[in-house]
Amino acid sequence: MTEEYQMVIVGVGGQGILTISDVIAIAARKKGLHILGSEVHGMAQKGGSVITNLKIGKELHSPTIPEGSAKVLIGIEENETLRFIKYLEPNATAITSKTILNPVSWKKNKKAAIEAQEKIDENLAKFKAKIIKIDSEALALEAGLSLAQNIVLLGVLSQVEGFPLSDEELKEALKERVPKKYVEQNLKAFELGKNAIEKTN
Amino acid sequence: MGKLSDLIENKEKRVLCLGNEAIARGAIEAGVQVFAAYPGTPSSEISAALIAAAPELDFYAEWSTNEKVAMEISYAASISGVRSMTALKHVGLNVAADAYYSFMYMGCKGGFVTVVGDDPHCFSSQNEQDSRWLGVSANFVILEPSNPQEAKDYVKLAFDISEKFEAPILLRSTTRISHARADVQYNEYESNFKEGDLEKTPRFKCLPAIARANHPKLLEKMEKIKEWIFDSGLSIVEDNDGEDYGIITSGISYSYVKDALKTLKRTIPILKLGMISPLDEKSILRFAKNKKNIIFIEEVDPYLEDRISALFIQNGLNPEIHGKCNGITKRYHELDSRLVAEGLIKVIGGELPSLSEIQKAVEETKEFIPFRPPLFCAGCQHRAAFYELSKVVRKQDGIFSSDIGCYSLDPWVTDTIVCMGASIGMANGFARVIKNKPIFALIGDSTFFHTGLPALVNAVYHKANFNLIILDNRMTAMTGFQPNPTEDIPIENVVKGLGVDYIVEFDPYNFEKGKKTIEDALKHEGPTVIIMRKICANEWWRRKRRKGEEIEVFHTNSEVCIACGTCIVQYQCPAISWSLDTNSKDKKYTVIDPAMCTGCSVCSQICPTGAISKVELND
Repeated sequence: MTEEYQMVIVGVGGQGILTISDVIAIAARKKGLHILGSEVHGMAQKGGSVITNLKIGKELHSPTIPEGSAKVLIGIEENETLRFIKYLEPNATAITSKTILNPVSWKKNKKAAIEAQEKIDENLAKFKAKIIKIDSEALALEAGLSLAQNIVLLGVLSQVEGFPLSDEELKEALKERVPKKYVEQNLKAFELGKNAIEKTN
Repeated sequence: MGKLSDLIENKEKRVLCLGNEAIARGAIEAGVQVFAAYPGTPSSEISAALIAAAPELDFYAEWSTNEKVAMEISYAASISGVRSMTALKHVGLNVAADAYYSFMYMGCKGGFVTVVGDDPHCFSSQNEQDSRWLGVSANFVILEPSNPQEAKDYVKLAFDISEKFEAPILLRSTTRISHARADVQYNEYESNFKEGDLEKTPRFKCLPAIARANHPKLLEKMEKIKEWIFDSGLSIVEDNDGEDYGIITSGISYSYVKDALKTLKRTIPILKLGMISPLDEKSILRFAKNKKNIIFIEEVDPYLEDRISALFIQNGLNPEIHGKCNGITKRYHELDSRLVAEGLIKVIGGELPSLSEIQKAVEETKEFIPFRPPLFCAGCQHRAAFYELSKVVRKQDGIFSSDIGCYSLDPWVTDTIVCMGASIGMANGFARVIKNKPIFALIGDSTFFHTGLPALVNAVYHKANFNLIILDNRMTAMTGFQPNPTEDIPIENVVKGLGVDYIVEFDPYNFEKGKKTIEDALKHEGPTVIIMRKICANEWWRRKRRKGEEIEVFHTNSEVCIACGTCIVQYQCPAISWSLDTNSKDKKYTVIDPAMCTGCSVCSQICPTGAISKVELND
């Protein structure tokens, strides 16, 4: 692999952002790679927008990732993908869920909400990234675990060209990280995500 | 939090952990015997980890009522000869500083380490205060690690230095180290716990005559430490080749410098300081000698820059200084490797990939990105209490002095939020000058015990006319549901003991009764005390789920709902949203997410058409 692989995972507090960040970190660790990431704790977590950075590599220094430098973004909520897609370097990959969680401001202002939702594809396209859009809600339900949208996207990630961890390595880490009684559903969610796209190259 | 077994297992291994967990492990490896702390982001996980580990490893650890008490507990243990530690956030250090300044004069015995978590960028704080200045004003001995591994290793080192020089040591972390996740090498350890005893010596009495003698002794000690650092390995010089430029940095800023230089494909001599007070003058002068330009890279204040520039003048060095003085980095918010690279370019030249296309796209799309502020959780008892309060006294008709905690998120009435305990202190002041409006102080249970008490004593003593609402949710929720004295000490007894005449309690989930409680209190001369008592909904919900108990949730009858928005737009419960098909007026109604609803029932009480009701279990 290259010296350093940088990625961001974004969404709304409570969507399981730290869980997939953990799974990736565990898998990288098992492979003997170093991990450095940065998380948001405390006040900002509650229903707010959340971004986690993760670097995988051999010699790592700073825990954060500046704008225009990540190789891949995982967005578990589509508006959050739009908020943070600026962290991707040109021609990098954004894996985004179609899921939209309405913030309070939109509950008050219906017009703004409709306009933003209608324009989301157009807006995402303004950033020169490769967008992979996934109906993670439907796939998670198919896997029998509505909370597993994050894992569906992790399955998609396993197919991204250049990502330094294989699907088998991620699945091993996944088994270790999620509660025993939900392992089977999580693995299914992972597979559904993985099969949702063809190898992206 | 990571696994407790990883934290305590006495084995060499590499563990994925938070910076704060690495710091806790460092304390365990150093054989900490007494630990006391008050929670505060970004320091809380250090304490949570050590308090969880204490019963397993047989040392003493507690959540104390405030930072000053915690620090005094740790210090007493230290001068009784055992290794002790406390952890706090930057503003918590202000609370404890009264004691700490004098501890420096008195010195310690057993290793005594304080970990402070600074918060550049105010992720979870009321200011960006830079704790490094205490190295000047109080002669603190300060270590500054640059990553989680170093943070762990420095904790062990801090205990050794503390014992070697009988000096309290401050380990300064920042949010990006405390909340970084990395793989960290854990080492084996030996615990050497012992019984404490206090040596009878005048040095522990900070009386004027003794303090007068202790001050020059402290300065002497600082000189000795200064001599010692040079050979300690704490100052690291890298790539010292060339006389044009040199970078002086420390802590997290060092990591940004490394990445910035990598991006710029440049090699510049770097001096990384591991101890930032006292300064390693010998290494600094040796590094700067013959260099034409010295570049300081540090977050927030020009601490290194100002101190070291003075050192250059005193020693006849005259390099050109770059840093905050010529604006290559800003004096506020956090840095990252890009900001540092942009700063360096202004001095050393070079080019970065352009961000103009990305910035253009950001400009074009930003109006579509919704503002998503943190909110009260679904079913939050604070939301109910504040909603009732806002219905009794509108914002413009009252004065609302609030405090630090989850209730800081109130969207309706709050006028002031300053620091721990300030709600009651300031209400005392408002009561002296504002006579035609009701005045409210709003404070949580933990903050009340932390620093609210003395201000209430003042109010009773001086008969200040205001209404104190104590929001007792049975725990310190904001920082991660820590326990506090409200578990065992009934607040109403405390308040009664102080001589407050009018004390009432209410359950905020009863909307009409809650409003009436507040209305009634307003008829009495203050200080009155109104206690809202209800367990944190988040924690209550979690406990129910853990036990596998059914939660009674609510739903909307779409036929009856008139889409007025009371529950969504006004009450702002995150469990409630509009029906999907909102284009058709006939079909617009509210929907309650059964996975989020905690069954608090307040929405059903405020709904003007009675459209919301409990889901019957046999439905």
